[in-house]
Amino acid sequence: MTKISTKGFLFNVERCIGCHACEVACKNENKTAPGVQWRRVTEGENGTYHSISCNHCSSPECFRVCPENAYIKRRDGIVLIDSNRCAGCNTCVQACPYHAPQFDLHQNRTTKCNYCIDRQREGLPPACVVACPSGALVNIDLKHLPLESTVPTVPGFPDIRITKPSIRFFPQKGKKRYWLKEEKSESTKNTDL
Amino acid sequence: MRNHKIVHNVCPRNCYETCSILSHVENDKLVKVEGNILHGYTRGRLCAKGYALTEYVYHPERLKYPIKQFPRGSGNWQRISWEEALGFIAEKIIELHDRYGSSLACGYNKYSGNIGVLHQATEGMFRGLGPHTIAQGDVCLAAGNDALIYNREKVPFKDPEDMAKAKGIVLWGVNPARTATHQWFFINKARDQGAKLLVIDPLYTPTAAQGDIFLQIKPGTDGMLAMATLKILLEKGKLDEGYIKEHFIGWETFKSYLLEEVELSEASKITGVPLEGIKELAALYESKNCATWVGFGLQRYSNGGQTVRVIDALVTLTGNYGEIGGGIYYNNSSGIFPINLKKFPRPPEQEKTKERIVDINHFASEVLALKDPPLKLLWIAGRNPLTQDQDIDKWHQLFRQLELIVTVDMFMNEIAAQSDFVLPAATFFEDYDLNYSYWHHWIGINQPAIPPYYEAKSDLEIARLLTKELNKRRPGFSSFPAERTALDWIEGEFTPEVLARLGIKNWRELLQSPRKLIPPSEKSDHQIHLFSQKAKEGQLPALARFTPPLSNPSYPLRLLTPQSLSRIHSQYSNLSWLDFGETSEEVEMNPQDAQARNLEEKDTVLIFNEGGTCERKVRLNKYLPEGVVLASQGGQDPINKLFTGLKADMGILTGGMPGGAYYDVWVEVKKND
Repeated sequence: MTKISTKGFLFNVERCIGCHACEVACKNENKTAPGVQWRRVTEGENGTYHSISCNHCSSPECFRVCPENAYIKRRDGIVLIDSNRCAGCNTCVQACPYHAPQFDLHQNRTTKCNYCIDRQREGLPPACVVACPSGALVNIDLKHLPLESTVPTVPGFPDIRITKPSIRFFPQKGKKRYWLKEEKSESTKNTDL
Repeated sequence: MRNHKIVHNVCPRNCYETCSILSHVENDKLVKVEGNILHGYTRGRLCAKGYALTEYVYHPERLKYPIKQFPRGSGNWQRISWEEALGFIAEKIIELHDRYGSSLACGYNKYSGNIGVLHQATEGMFRGLGPHTIAQGDVCLAAGNDALIYNREKVPFKDPEDMAKAKGIVLWGVNPARTATHQWFFINKARDQGAKLLVIDPLYTPTAAQGDIFLQIKPGTDGMLAMATLKILLEKGKLDEGYIKEHFIGWETFKSYLLEEVELSEASKITGVPLEGIKELAALYESKNCATWVGFGLQRYSNGGQTVRVIDALVTLTGNYGEIGGGIYYNNSSGIFPINLKKFPRPPEQEKTKERIVDINHFASEVLALKDPPLKLLWIAGRNPLTQDQDIDKWHQLFRQLELIVTVDMFMNEIAAQSDFVLPAATFFEDYDLNYSYWHHWIGINQPAIPPYYEAKSDLEIARLLTKELNKRRPGFSSFPAERTALDWIEGEFTPEVLARLGIKNWRELLQSPRKLIPPSEKSDHQIHLFSQKAKEGQLPALARFTPPLSNPSYPLRLLTPQSLSRIHSQYSNLSWLDFGETSEEVEMNPQDAQARNLEEKDTVLIFNEGGTCERKVRLNKYLPEGVVLASQGGQDPINKLFTGLKADMGILTGGMPGGAYYDVWVEVKKND
C-alpha cells in the first residue's frame, strides 16, 4: 500500500532562469499532444519566472468539481485523472487556479501532470525536476519540509487559498540594480524584489 | 518494451555545452532522449532544445530524398536518385576543371550547423579536388581569441566546472540563462558558498536578473568600465605592484595612461554606470579568486578585441591568474585532435597551387570580385547564409554567376530554396561522430541510434559517394580517401597524446561513456603583455586600453541581435515544442524611443538603414537602453539584410580573417503607413 505522504514541489523563484527545460522535458517524457502543456514556464515581475504544473493540492478543485468523478487523490498526495472517464466537459479546466488540467482537442479529453508516476515506481524524480539546470525546481514530501525556511506563496503565483497546493517557495531577497545613467536623470540605483 | 535500446549521442550544435545524450530507441524509432549522468558537465540534463530532439528528427518538413529544382528559385522540385544527383554534380566538377585548368571555380560555404569532427568531411571532400575556393574565418569569437593571444600569447584553457570554486563571479556580456544553462549548476554552487554574482550587460537578460548585482552598460564601452575599475583599485593601493612589475610587460606605460588619461566621472558618463556601481565591481576584484566569464557578444564590435584585452588586463592585474576557480573564461578549445579530414596527403600536382581563401564574413561580395576563374559551383552545408550572413543582397547577385548551387540540409531553408540540388542531411542520431566542446573538457563518441531517415546521409557519406562518382568518371581525379569509414576517421583522431590526455588505452572505451581530458601540464610563469609588440605589428594599438565604439550620425539606433532561447541561429525555428512566444517578427524598443517616433506597442514599423529595410512589430521593453533596439535572428524577412561590411578590430591571428562586428549596426525605425 502506498505510504501516506504529501508529494509536491519546492520552487526557488530566484534560481529559475526561465530556460523552459522543465516544460520541454515533460513533453519528451509524457508525449503530450501539441498545445497540451502539463508544465509551463511563465514570466513574472522584474525578470523572474514561474514554472507551474499540477500542484497536487490538498483540496483539489478538479477532484471536487468533476461530474464524472474522474479524479482521485492518492495516499501519497498525487492527484490523478482517469482520462477514460473524462467526458470533456472542461469544468475542471475552468476550476483549477493553476491551469493544470489541459484539454486535448484531438481526443476530446482532459489530461494533466501525473507527477511522472511511472518514473516514481523506478525511484526516479519527475522529468521536469531532473531537467532543471539551476536547482530551482525540486520534488519534495511536504510532510518533511522545514516550514520556517520556506513560504507558502510568492508574488505573481495564483491564489493558494482555495486548493491548498502542495508547493512551497523560497523567500525572495533584494538585489542591487544599477540601471543605465542617462545624462538627464540621476536616480539610477534601486533594489528590486 | 519491444526492442528497446539506449544509445550514446552527443549534441553537435554550435553551443557551449555539447551535451551527452542517452537516446531511447524502440523498433528503430527514437522515442525519448535524456541526459547522461556519466557526463560531469551536463550531469544527466539537456536544455529545452535538446529535449525537443524527437520532434526535430521526425519533423514533417524534414527532407527525405535528393531533389532538383528547375528553374532555380521556381519551387519546381523533382525527386531524383542519389546516383543521378551526385553523377550530375561530379560531371560538373570535372567539366569546370577542364574549362579552367583547376577546381578553383568550385567552392564551399560551410559553418557550424554540426560541429562534430566528422562533419569536416565537406572540407575534406573539396580538399580531394586539389586547389579550390574556401570560405575561411570565424563568424563567432575570433576577435576575443586574438585579444587574449596579444595579452598572453595563448588563450587560457579553463575548466568551467572550476567556476564552482570561485569566491566571486563576474558574468561580463554573457547570458548563460539562454546560451549555457548547465553552467548554472557550477555558478550556483559557488553562490551557495558565499560567492557574489555580478552581471554586466546593456540588456536586462534573464542572467542579469539572476545577478546579486547588475550593472547596465552602454554597448561597446566595457573597456572603459574595466579601465575605471583598475584605476579605483590602483588608487586604493589594491594592486600588487611588486608582482606586476615582474610579470607584466608595459606596466609603467599602462599605469601612467590609467592615472593621466582615465577619469572616473568621465568613465561613468561614457559607460553609463554610476560610480557606485563601478566601485561594486572593484570590490569583487579586491578579493582574490574571482571568476570572469567574457561572452562572445562584447567582442562583436569594431573595438571588440580591444575590449577583451582591457578586461583581461583587469583580471590579470588583480592577481586573478593561474588559480583554480578564478581567472578569465572565454573559449576553451583544446585543439588536441589533428582533424585528419583536412590533412590527408595529396599527390604533388594537387599541392602546386594554393587554395583560394575568401572571408566568410564577407563571402558574397568577395566572391563576386573573384576572376580567373570566377566561382561557378557553390556547395552549402551546415549554414543558412540567407538569414545569417552580412550583405544578403550580394548573395542574390552571386546566384546569377553560379552554374550550380548544391545545399545539404535537413530542411528546405532559405538557401536551400535558392539551390539547384538539395541533398537530405542525416541528423546526428543517424551516423557516427566524434565531439568535443569549446567550453567543457569532455570528449564523446556519437553513435548511430536509428537508421538514416528515408534517404538522408551524413556529410561524410556524401563526401565518400561523390568522390567515388568523380573517380569512376576520371580515375584519380579526387584524392579524398573514400574507402575510409566513419570509424576509421574516428580512430585516426586518437593520437597517443589524445589517449594519454583521456587516460585510456583504446579509443573504443569512449563508446561506453564520455571522458574528460586531463589538464595539460602548464608553465605558470607566463608574462602578460599590457604592451604588445605583436599588436603593434598588426596595426593595432600596442597598449591594452579602451578604444571608443563607433557611432553613426545617419542612423541613431544601435541594433542588437543576441541569441534566443529556442534556436541556435537559424536552427530549430520550426519546432512547436520550442514555441515560447519568441518571434522574429518583432523589434523591441525602449518606450522613450518609441514615443519620440509616435510608435506604440504592436505598431507595424519599418526598420531600415543603408543596407535595406525589414518590417517588424513594435514590442516595448522598459529595460532596454535608450538608443538600442533589439531583434532576433532569422525569419522570412531576415534582420541581417541590414548588416553590411562589419569587421571587428581583431581575428586574423586565430580566424585567418577579422571577426564580424555584428553589433555595430545602426538603424532608424518608422511607422509603416
